[in-house]
Amino acid sequence: MEGASVRKDLLSLLGKEKVLTEELDLMYYSYDSSFLTQLKPETPWAVVLPASTADVQAVMKYAYDHQINVVPRGAGTGETGGSVALNGGIVLDLSNFNEIVEIDQKNMQVIVRPGVIHAELNKRLAEYNLFFPPDPGSSQMCTVGGMVANNASGLRAVKYGCTEQYVLGLEIVLPNGDLIYAGGIKARTLKNVSGLNLTKLMVGSEGVLGVITQIRLRCWPKPKARGIVMAVFDSLDDAPATVLEIYQAGIMPSGMEILDSSAISAVNMYKPEINLPDAEAILLFEVDGNPPSVDYEGNVIQEVAGRRARTVEWSTEPKRMAQLWEGRSVTATAAARVRADGTRVFAGEDISVPLSKVADTLRAIRKLADKYGIKVVNYGHIGDGNVHTAPVINTSIPEEVEQVKKLVHEIHLLAIELNGSTTGEHGVGAVRRPYAEMEHGLAVEYMKKVKQAFDDKGIMNPNKLF
Amino acid sequence: MDFKNLPPVKEQIMKCVRCGKCRSVCPVFAELRYESAAPRGHVFMVQMLRDGVVKPSEEVSKRLTHCLMCENCSANCPSGIDIHELNAAARSYIEQKNPSIGKELLFDTLWTKPSLLNLSTSLMWGAQKAGLQKLARYTGLTKLLPGSLPQAEKILEAVPLRNARSMIPEINPARCEREYKIGYFLGCATDLLYPDIALAAIEVLTNNGCEVIVPRHSKCCGLPHIANGKLETAQSLAIHNCQIYNAYDFDYIITDCGSCSSALSAKNMHFLLGQTEHAQAGEIFAAKVMDLSKFLIDVLDISFPVNHNAKPITVTYHDPCHLANAQKIKDQPRELLRRIPGVKLAEMSDTNYCCGGSGTYSITHYQTSMKILDKKMAMIKLTGAETVATCCPSCTMQLNYGIRKHNMKCSVVHPIQLAREASKKKAVHSA
Repeated sequence: MEGASVRKDLLSLLGKEKVLTEELDLMYYSYDSSFLTQLKPETPWAVVLPASTADVQAVMKYAYDHQINVVPRGAGTGETGGSVALNGGIVLDLSNFNEIVEIDQKNMQVIVRPGVIHAELNKRLAEYNLFFPPDPGSSQMCTVGGMVANNASGLRAVKYGCTEQYVLGLEIVLPNGDLIYAGGIKARTLKNVSGLNLTKLMVGSEGVLGVITQIRLRCWPKPKARGIVMAVFDSLDDAPATVLEIYQAGIMPSGMEILDSSAISAVNMYKPEINLPDAEAILLFEVDGNPPSVDYEGNVIQEVAGRRARTVEWSTEPKRMAQLWEGRSVTATAAARVRADGTRVFAGEDISVPLSKVADTLRAIRKLADKYGIKVVNYGHIGDGNVHTAPVINTSIPEEVEQVKKLVHEIHLLAIELNGSTTGEHGVGAVRRPYAEMEHGLAVEYMKKVKQAFDDKGIMNPNKLF
Repeated sequence: MDFKNLPPVKEQIMKCVRCGKCRSVCPVFAELRYESAAPRGHVFMVQMLRDGVVKPSEEVSKRLTHCLMCENCSANCPSGIDIHELNAAARSYIEQKNPSIGKELLFDTLWTKPSLLNLSTSLMWGAQKAGLQKLARYTGLTKLLPGSLPQAEKILEAVPLRNARSMIPEINPARCEREYKIGYFLGCATDLLYPDIALAAIEVLTNNGCEVIVPRHSKCCGLPHIANGKLETAQSLAIHNCQIYNAYDFDYIITDCGSCSSALSAKNMHFLLGQTEHAQAGEIFAAKVMDLSKFLIDVLDISFPVNHNAKPITVTYHDPCHLANAQKIKDQPRELLRRIPGVKLAEMSDTNYCCGGSGTYSITHYQTSMKILDKKMAMIKLTGAETVATCCPSCTMQLNYGIRKHNMKCSVVHPIQLAREASKKKAVHSA
């Protein structure tokens, strides 16, 4: 079918308030944060802005009947091309479908539509002394729907885990327009082992099985106290060693983050007031809970980290804690600051390796970066072995673009070789799809069969994930 | 100006990774919710324009103007992109390719000549009795501006008969021992709509050891031109103002208007003149420019006579975008207010959330502007303040309209007006 007739049909189906059809307007949906779409943006045939589950059903029924690709999209902050219609079709921009339907304080859960922004949800939950623990660096930008679709996690995953641990139920529109509920049609339970676990299947499915239109999330009581230890190291190797020693001391911090020397410079350039000391590496440990336990854990971390660190700073002062945490949260994009004519590219940025191999990984990445002559900034969630590498290049120099492609390919291979994964939390999308068979072997064939069961016409976000 | 070779276009576009941080802080995106209104969307479109993927058309311009130029995106961009400069450069490029007679008349002719601008305001004063619509129809103004003029008429307040320029002498000697020689930059809106702000500033400055010169031939700061695709006109205005002020030996060049001080700042002068032969003149000029509130606190360290009988007033302070985002001046206006006897400062929840005015935006995009204003007024209402203080005449006009629109009982002032009242008895300069 032609794009023009799809646009015409959608207009008559949903009206002009909910459908973008002008070429210029559509171009704005040709990108996400990936290097892939920076190099080659792809304009969809149409963009639909649904305001209800019925709207989504109407679009899916139409798309199914006419065999048109549909790509769900949140805030478009992903780094894998996952929310871009790389093969034409309709983009469903769910970021306006953003109601917090119910905060069920008595049952420790919240029901939201997919477009709710993560930070806004937690702001509202705080009024009830609750919180939704996963804490992605893009908290202020990303949607909860996007987090569910990618099984996002972030800075506090080390203690609180990933999104999947909090999703209790989902309302899903299937490719043929059918509406199903995973986790029980009417259930409000915290525990539920009834039936095949379609909820877990949907979390992290990156839009290849259906469209998530409502999410029931488990909330946790908001911790009463918080503290941050900043440990400064002259040797990069001392950082992962310290992390293991903290675990061995019986402490489970709510966050354990690493910044290498380039990441430190980038943060200082973005927010000079944060004023991080120059060093080979900085570790940030967050502890949360009740005030006495926060003090105790803070003291143990200071003592253990102090054995290897040049300096250790302990802070419970809200302004300083917010500065340090924000500094770390924005490293992802602030990385570009380390080179005047440089751009941070999102590619090969999310490998996950066993804890015991973090030091080897960091060393190997530096060696690879030297091999290809690319400046890299390393940071990440060291507590769970999730290393973020930010190559910084001048994208207008074709040789650098080619070199960085080779570099990120080798980083992905490195992860697999070290018993790791090509992605810890950002997802696969289109950019890590080539590694699927290498990582999963025969299991990929069964993944395809699962997709076939949900999406017999193959219209849901095709050519992503595997 | 060569669009493709302007420093932000040449050096900054590629830095955008579309992380979306800008999208989360943009007041216009919060209302419109289309990616074409997101600042990263503007960066993307400027890139498409630079690369020739899209033509410099009015359709592209229409999308780029979904922007208040409030600089909240630039202030928050992790990659350090001056998104507002990219947007201004693109608007200007499109305007060059699609010149509009209306804009030329308004921004190149009327708004570059203070005498003509003053004449129009005087005409407006006369015409307000008969209603602006008649005048607008008579002068053809309705054809000049997009948006709805009858609605814009509501925003415009009663225009004073006499402008500041006609009431303030060129030379205003210090009323005590002279410490500083000040060049006062009289912005268009203060001059024509709020002359009392300038009168108050001159009074407080001269009482505190400043000789204040108000050069007769200074012109607009150029900000309306930058926002409306007239970069070259803004450039000529900057060159003119540099020539005028650099001819004196001022210690400081002070302005009461946050938008003016931002337009005259080193950063903006570099944007406008950095690649021209006037770059050095721009640097010399901008090095002396300082916003009034910053000067009163950081340089003069102003104090007020103790007054135990001062009437207590609750004041909330609205951060003008061009002061808070563009110049990071947030503390000094508050400190000035705190030093005024009787003032109790009650902060609103989101002090530097834009009021939606932004110069001409409230006229060109009335509906969106009003949605943004409504949010701001709700924040103000919650403080219970009887006075709203701000350092920008455009914000003043918009907030005054918000007060009328929401039937609120408070007034909008510049902190300098409260400072003048507080120093009526005798000003004490403790520097």
